[in-house]
Amino acid sequence: MNRDELIKYLQDKFQDKLQLLDTGRAEPFFLIKPEFLVEFCRQIRDDVTLAIDYLCNIGAVDTGERFEVVYNVASVAKRLRFDFKFILDYENPKIDSVQEIWPGANWHEREIWELFGINIRNHNNLKRFLLPDDWDQGNPMRKNWDAPDFKRMPEVK
Amino acid sequence: MGLIKKLPVYLEKFPGGGLVTTSLNYVFSQSQASSLWYLLFGTACCAIELMATGASRYDFDRLGMIFRASPRQSDLIIAAGTITKKMTPRLRLLYDQMAEPRYVIAMGGCTVGGGPFYYDSYAVEKGIDHIVPVDVYIPGCPPRPESLLEGCLTLQKKVKKLKMEDWS
Ligand code: SF4
Repeated sequence: MNRDELIKYLQDKFQDKLQLLDTGRAEPFFLIKPEFLVEFCRQIRDDVTLAIDYLCNIGAVDTGERFEVVYNVASVAKRLRFDFKFILDYENPKIDSVQEIWPGANWHEREIWELFGINIRNHNNLKRFLLPDDWDQGNPMRKNWDAPDFKRMPEVK
Repeated sequence: MGLIKKLPVYLEKFPGGGLVTTSLNYVFSQSQASSLWYLLFGTACCAIELMATGASRYDFDRLGMIFRASPRQSDLIIAAGTITKKMTPRLRLLYDQMAEPRYVIAMGGCTVGGGPFYYDSYAVEKGIDHIVPVDVYIPGCPPRPESLLEGCLTLQKKVKKLKMEDWS
């Protein structure tokens, strides 16, 4: 299955729940709704044509006004790759855990919980992960984060 | 170390005791300076340069510097690489486990003062002198093996000047 066939297949399967984004990259990039996340992941994993068996990464982006959570998935068996993301509000962001679909999601979700302060529902092990054990300064990857010994790069003119 | 520190005080009361202490001091400091065994403590890219210095081209061994994998057997920490805030308690622990006299070389911009992570970093400790006392600073990103050798020679000079009484 090449890129165009993959896009067509996904669009036929999920209709308007999925929106193709124009990124100019080799892998297709889709936008979905946060409520649809778990259902979507389960369907692409269980679909025999897609057989998405590998979650490469979960990343979060803070744009200053909203959060975007990006999932990179792949199928080792079918040699496929694509990405999808969804958009969250800045106030009280919450997502569902996909660790029952891909167990490897556990650490990725723990990381974005810790660094971005995005809450994960149904996660079995949300505790301190990459930051120092006595960390008490909040979520450092947020755009508006600050700390007493944190220095921003001065503007270069 | 207690007994050896007090030795000069007692010896100097005897006639010719001063000569004995000076000679003893000379022997001790010479042997210490020529066998500064360092702890394997490479935490980032500077460690590559440390390895290059240890390998045959620059040959650390000719200064009597041999790496040890245990803090109990080493006299020197060459902190080669970025020290993150999460790493700081470990560094302090390793330093505390070393037997006195002990020395620290801060190798590379990261350990001297944060280096390339000085701005925009929430994770990096900006200078290891916040955690352990540092004897020699070697700036550079990374310092070339020549600078590291120079730093070690500087440390040797310092060790040779030390008196038994001020070992710590
Ligand atoms: S000073 Fe430069 S080379 Fe050395 S650890 Fe830091 S970033 Fe790496």
